[in-house]
Amino acid sequence: MRSEYEVKAAFLYNFTRFITWADPLSDVPDLKICVLGQDPFGDVLQQLDGRVSQGRPLALGYPESLSDSDDCQVLFVGSARSRDLPAIIGYAHDRQMLTISEIPDFVEDGGIIGYVKEGNVIRFEINLKAAQSAGLHVNSRLLELAVRVIR
Amino acid sequence: MMDRWRWQYWPLKTKLLLLTLSISTLGILLVCTSLVVVENENYQEQLESELHVIADILAEQSAAALLFEDDQQLSTIISSLRQIGTIEQVCVYNVAGRVVSALDESDDASCPALSVPPEVGFVGDYYRLLEPVMLDGDIVGQFYLMSRLEVLREHIRAFILVTFSIGIVIQMILAWVALRLQRLVSEPIFQLSDAAERIARDHDYSIRVPVYGKDELGRLGSAFNEMIGTVQQQNLKILQSRDELERTVADRTSELSLANRELEAFSFSVSHDLRQPLRAIEGFGQALEEDCGDQLNETGRDYLSRIRTATVRMGGLIDGLLVLSRVSRQAMEIKQLDLSAMLEEIVEELRETTDPLPTYVRIQPGIRVVGDGRMIRVAFQNLLENAWKYTSKNGERRIAVTACEASDSITVAIRDNGVGFDMKYVDKLFVAFNRLHTPSEFVGTGLGLATVDRVVRRHFGEIYADSSVDKGACFYVRFPSSIQK
Repeated sequence: MRSEYEVKAAFLYNFTRFITWADPLSDVPDLKICVLGQDPFGDVLQQLDGRVSQGRPLALGYPESLSDSDDCQVLFVGSARSRDLPAIIGYAHDRQMLTISEIPDFVEDGGIIGYVKEGNVIRFEINLKAAQSAGLHVNSRLLELAVRVIR
Repeated sequence: MMDRWRWQYWPLKTKLLLLTLSISTLGILLVCTSLVVVENENYQEQLESELHVIADILAEQSAAALLFEDDQQLSTIISSLRQIGTIEQVCVYNVAGRVVSALDESDDASCPALSVPPEVGFVGDYYRLLEPVMLDGDIVGQFYLMSRLEVLREHIRAFILVTFSIGIVIQMILAWVALRLQRLVSEPIFQLSDAAERIARDHDYSIRVPVYGKDELGRLGSAFNEMIGTVQQQNLKILQSRDELERTVADRTSELSLANRELEAFSFSVSHDLRQPLRAIEGFGQALEEDCGDQLNETGRDYLSRIRTATVRMGGLIDGLLVLSRVSRQAMEIKQLDLSAMLEEIVEELRETTDPLPTYVRIQPGIRVVGDGRMIRVAFQNLLENAWKYTSKNGERRIAVTACEASDSITVAIRDNGVGFDMKYVDKLFVAFNRLHTPSEFVGTGLGLATVDRVVRRHFGEIYADSSVDKGACFYVRFPSSIQK
């Protein structure tokens, strides 16, 4: 039986396969996944390093502050940063970042994808409006699988 | 009876028809079979590609659900396949080879384990396929589908039915056409054979067959006509020459019978007319002997007596000639005769007239022959008189008459113990005026056996003799049974 964070890490990787960035911002081919705040994954996330999503190799980053995260395409917001969520989301979406978090009601606060737990099963919610305003395209298959979609 | 059903006895028409129909049947069968085979292949291909398209679509749809382990979503996706009735089983495996979701029509079948690759393609009554679920070139799971082939079977069954029905219709049309067309070949042959049979039966050589076209049958027809023409001409010639021949024969026959009649009339009148002067000689000889006998000396009386003896002999000869002429000319009155009774009568007469020699005559009773009574009597009287005569110098007389009947004839044998004759003179025996003994030994005219021979010949029979000197003689008379006709 896999641990909760193993599943969440796998989901994190799979999300990147169903999201399309409107225009590639950087010249770097890497798709950078950043964890802001405390890292709940431990070693598990290291397995993603070097894997390929939509033809782009993944890279991991652990920025100290929000201002250090400009080159990230995916931003995982740790639970500790729940207090300055509006600032983080506004900052991230201006830079076409896909925001993901396990903070409860993350999508209602303007985040794009939030993990939810239904019993023992990990599911997720999507704020499509936020995604579109951030300039991201979400594959309809992913939408079908979400427990809730905010349009 | 069964012979009539063997193919040698079938008419040409039937054979031709059978030939045509068997070839067309073979052709239609081959065409139908190939059509069915090709249709089966095509339909299989079509079915295969349809199932692959369905599988591709569903595999693509289920990729995301597989990745996010959303079993509910997977069930929803594959349950859409329930609408396709022939799909028996669908299984979706994750990348590790574990069954994530399944759709079973029948409960007894469970998804095959992927550790051993399952059989795919057309196996038995099912079509199976196993496809990887791909996302961006990565294999994220496997999609397994099993479909029943009843639609294919149903389709092919219907196709066979339609194809063979059309085949039967075509065959019937072909049979009708063949029935029409075979007349082109069989009709001239039939007419030829019919004409040949009629010619053989009726000998009507004026029959000709109609000639169709210039092919082999046409040539055969003309050759046949030419041949019959030649036969007709030759037949005509033969008939003409036969008629000529018959006329000639009739002419000759009438000439001959005229001459014969004249000759017989001549010999009859000669014999008859000879009697008169002979009676005069005899009468006056007797008168001379009685009235002037004593005026003659011994020599004269001797001469006179010789004259009279000669006269008696001549009278006998004339009588014989008359009998011979009569049996030759007389019309025959054919009926069934009891020969044994007739012979007994003759023997009785002979017993009364002659010597006192001890005589033993044995006649087989019940001998029956067919012929003219008077003539047969003359013949057997002669034969018995001969037997009597040539046994007169024996110590005793033994005569036996026996008959031997064969399928087509009856042979009467008259055997005596007389002096017999030398077989080297047997050819002269039945010729008139030929005698094997001198008058001093046995008297006779030399006409008796000639008369017998003539009678037997007129009855279409034959006579022959067997003897040796002093050992008796045996005369055989054979009458054919066919004289009744």
